[in-house]
Amino acid sequence: MFEHEDDIVERVIRQLRRPVSIDPGLDARVLHEIASDAAPESAARRPLLRSLPWLAAAAVLAAALVARPWTRGGNGADAFQFVLVAPQAASVSLVGDFNDWDPARSPMKTAQGVWATVVQLTPGRYRYAFLVNGVEWRADPSAPRAMDDEFGTPSSVVTVGGRGT
Amino acid sequence: MGIGLVEPSDSELVRRVRTGDIGAYGALVARYRDRLGRYAVHMIGDRQDAEEALQDSFVRAYRSLERCNDPARFGAWLYGILVNRCRTTGARAARRRRMFVHDIGALNGAAHPDQTDRVEWSDAVDRALARLAPEYREAFLLKHVDDLEYEQIAAVTGAGISALKMRVKRAREQLQKFLREAEHV
Repeated sequence: MFEHEDDIVERVIRQLRRPVSIDPGLDARVLHEIASDAAPESAARRPLLRSLPWLAAAAVLAAALVARPWTRGGNGADAFQFVLVAPQAASVSLVGDFNDWDPARSPMKTAQGVWATVVQLTPGRYRYAFLVNGVEWRADPSAPRAMDDEFGTPSSVVTVGGRGT
Repeated sequence: MGIGLVEPSDSELVRRVRTGDIGAYGALVARYRDRLGRYAVHMIGDRQDAEEALQDSFVRAYRSLERCNDPARFGAWLYGILVNRCRTTGARAARRRRMFVHDIGALNGAAHPDQTDRVEWSDAVDRALARLAPEYREAFLLKHVDDLEYEQIAAVTGAGISALKMRVKRAREQLQKFLREAEHV
């Protein structure tokens, strides 16, 4: 039974503030669309790109760690999406401390050159990289570089804090 | 937020995007997608249309980034683009019955002892929200759900502050009325 207008409205507000699930593929679709903008054939149509002629080259391999959990999981692990814009790649795998650097465990799926995968991460510090076409080792240009890479290959680092941090 | 990285500011990310770093734009998308997505879903009422509006707004913002005069206020500028896009969607299609799937994670995490009651309440809220005039719904969501100040809402919507306060007041009154009606059906 509702008793007071403010109680009802406050309850409505609490309901509407609850998280809403958005398709996890949306980020990749946005990046794909803007990466298409950055392609040489479309650069002439975009004022931003006309002023930055080297943007097309940068777009060939730009990556983004989506630095927030996709979903809150159980057992302290949250899902994180990694995205790589690599239109010319035939295959891309995400490798890192979280999957024993095994390319078979986190193959990335592509939507016209935008590669994405989701991994479960518990709080901690992880090194990772992208393995392009099975041979080409790439650090994430959008993330800090790992300074303690004992393998001599480029890698990046992400630190996942505990919930509420 | 569960990330221990020191996150770059909006203005730093906008600066990087302007120098060709698409990954920086990915970080901006990730930063704002949930909050803006929630607004779009509640404003439009149809999840698919809302996600389309959200995606389109992010792409439009990227393509118009040179016109973002104050990169530190990228979020407010982005809100303006989404608000306009939601208006277009609302004008183009009659508002559909809200049938989207509720957030399972939120339901699972609910402390309420009876999930059925919660879903019924959620549906009642959706239906009441859908009955509001779009300008009332817009003002109510921006003020009470997205926590924008009236000055910010005025900048985003183009409406005057006194008009916005009236819209929010009417929205509150009508939500109460609609939900009382639903309770007695």
